[in-house]
Amino acid sequence: MSLKPYIRSRWFEDIPIGEFHVFGSHTFSELEAIEFGRRYSPEIYHTDPTGAWDTPYRGLVICGWHLTATWMKLMVGYMENFASGVQDGRRNGAGMGVEDLEWYLPVRPGHTITFTYEVTEKPERVVRNRWGIIRSRNEAFNQYGDRVMSFTIDILAERNPAGAG
Amino acid sequence: MPRYWQDIQPGEQFTTALASLSKQDILEFAAEFDPQPYHLDSEAAEASIFGGLCASGWQVSAIMMRLLTDALHQQEIPVIGMSSVPKMRWKKPVFAGDTLSAEITVKGREATARQPGAGSLDLDVRVFNQAQEPVIELATRLMIALGANANVA
Repeated sequence: MSLKPYIRSRWFEDIPIGEFHVFGSHTFSELEAIEFGRRYSPEIYHTDPTGAWDTPYRGLVICGWHLTATWMKLMVGYMENFASGVQDGRRNGAGMGVEDLEWYLPVRPGHTITFTYEVTEKPERVVRNRWGIIRSRNEAFNQYGDRVMSFTIDILAERNPAGAG
Repeated sequence: MPRYWQDIQPGEQFTTALASLSKQDILEFAAEFDPQPYHLDSEAAEASIFGGLCASGWQVSAIMMRLLTDALHQQEIPVIGMSSVPKMRWKKPVFAGDTLSAEITVKGREATARQPGAGSLDLDVRVFNQAQEPVIELATRLMIALGANANVA
């Protein structure tokens, strides 16, 4: 018997409310912060380590959308790791939308951010006759334990054609 | 001349420039942040819910940020950052070759923000593809620098 829960291959019906995961941590480098900033949010406080001292942030900060993209990166890596060996896999994935996305504190190059995920709700709505919605609460913490970001996201999960077991 | 928080009124609208997305752009972002088959592999994408190779929703959000940033810079509005997104909906997939633009409407404002020296603007942002179909819609709170003579009473 495998102890690995095949997370990505589960039906909507088999994902329990209250399930909690720590997706992992990422330490942001100055280089990746600047690259992302140049491309998607060209502000001095994202792109210019010297000029950033003269902004309200008093130094470089990570773009908020770089944080959400990194959440995605760690989620995919975590799920794929648990789903390894599953051929039919991926009964879930596509995101519908986000609510209550908050960036509480600046994140700086060198900071290590840890991302957590908890299933909070399974709304009754059925999408295209095939998909259910998994609502999760997601939080990100820096190396001091301060919460830097949180949001709620709705992600589609395929419903079991045979119905709930 | 810079336009500070106090110079911007609810009801004001901004239209952004255009941003085109190539297959290479989609693959590069997906490889780094969202390596799922429907963002990396045309064949797998055609069999998926999206019906073709499409950009990560988070890339679309990031492109929205670029369009918004450039539009506000053009108006010389000093942006101190985004503090929240109360609601965001991915309405349609964005495919290679799509060209996006956004409409920004100022819905409200508050004289304080998470960062000192800034006020908040509540914005509605809608991003469209070249067929004028909405691909992403969001409500967001942006922080804008207060001018030296801001009346924050």
